[in-house]
Amino acid sequence: MSALCPILRTSFDDYLADVLPAPQRRILREHLAACADCRRAALEKDPSFAFARPFAPEPVAEETAARILDAVRTGVALRQTEQRLRGVSSGRIAGSAAAAAAALVLALLIPGGGSSRRARTADARPGATPAAVQAAAVQPPPAARPVEPAVSSSEATIYDLNPGAGREEPRVVWIVDRGLDI
Amino acid sequence: MELVYSETRERQSSTELSDRELAVRARSGEMVSFETLVVRKTPAVVSLARRIVGNGEDARDVAQMVFLRVWNEIHRYDEKYSLNTWLYRIATNLAIDFLRSSRSRERAHGATLHLVREREERTADDATRVAEDAELARLFESVSGRLSEKQKAAFVLKEMEDLETSEIAAILGCGESTVRNHLFNARKILRREIGRLYPEFVRGVVKA
Repeated sequence: MSALCPILRTSFDDYLADVLPAPQRRILREHLAACADCRRAALEKDPSFAFARPFAPEPVAEETAARILDAVRTGVALRQTEQRLRGVSSGRIAGSAAAAAAALVLALLIPGGGSSRRARTADARPGATPAAVQAAAVQPPPAARPVEPAVSSSEATIYDLNPGAGREEPRVVWIVDRGLDI
Repeated sequence: MELVYSETRERQSSTELSDRELAVRARSGEMVSFETLVVRKTPAVVSLARRIVGNGEDARDVAQMVFLRVWNEIHRYDEKYSLNTWLYRIATNLAIDFLRSSRSRERAHGATLHLVREREERTADDATRVAEDAELARLFESVSGRLSEKQKAAFVLKEMEDLETSEIAAILGCGESTVRNHLFNARKILRREIGRLYPEFVRGVVKA
């Protein structure tokens, strides 16, 4: 028992109430780690004093640390790929919008462009002539045609397998990401 | 070959940087700095997560989520503030979320039962071993099952990580008086649980 012991023991209540100033708190914790008598007295006062000591981080096995790092790397790579793909997709949307605008301008500028389109659309309606319907029926299905890349960049290529799909038919897009290390 | 050499040299130089410098470099997209930070902080994050979630396997899962969250949020890191506080905030919140999941609760309960049985088989001489950090950490795991997530996190950060109450308030996103309230209630519950589950622990230490 040192001269410091009785003084520090008077601060137990303040420690438990969390009103002990930081420097005194540190001194008390260090003292409790070193002085068995005061530690006993503290535990008699409150068993939760058992945890009033600085705990060093538990060592993590190298293998475990390596596994965590690998998992984090994989997760980061996936996030980066997702972000890249989002970038490519938004680029494709911007490209499609530009193409649609250009088509609209051409349709308005080319004489008869709009009317011939209207005529072709009319063929597909009920009431169209049998010959026109037959001609439409012999068109090969979209999947039978070779698919051209819709968007291609140094990072990814997007193949749009059914570009005309609307709400009734699911849209099928195949994205080939060169950044994926498979 | 040159690339490998260059990356190794880069990694060696990054290990000499402070946490804050590494975080700033990681923020600008430097992967080597981020990985150095992960390696450096893994033991602290796993330990903190383990004390909150109650078992090592879940703690490793939480640690992975913590570092992924850090990577996603690194652009928000402000170097004016301590990296540890920011990291502990992410780790504590994710560990609390994890603890709230029923799966984690079941595992913690299983671990507690195992520890209680293990303790019952020990002799009084083992009381001296209880003084060891690892043993105390396990003791905490077994008696802290009845603490709420916030009470547990506040107690771990205060007693085991030795953080200031103001830091804990910042980490938990509440006021200092709320932290004190959590600590008060945590002590009350721990006092009761230690007395109930390990009466020989307190008696053994007092008699020693």
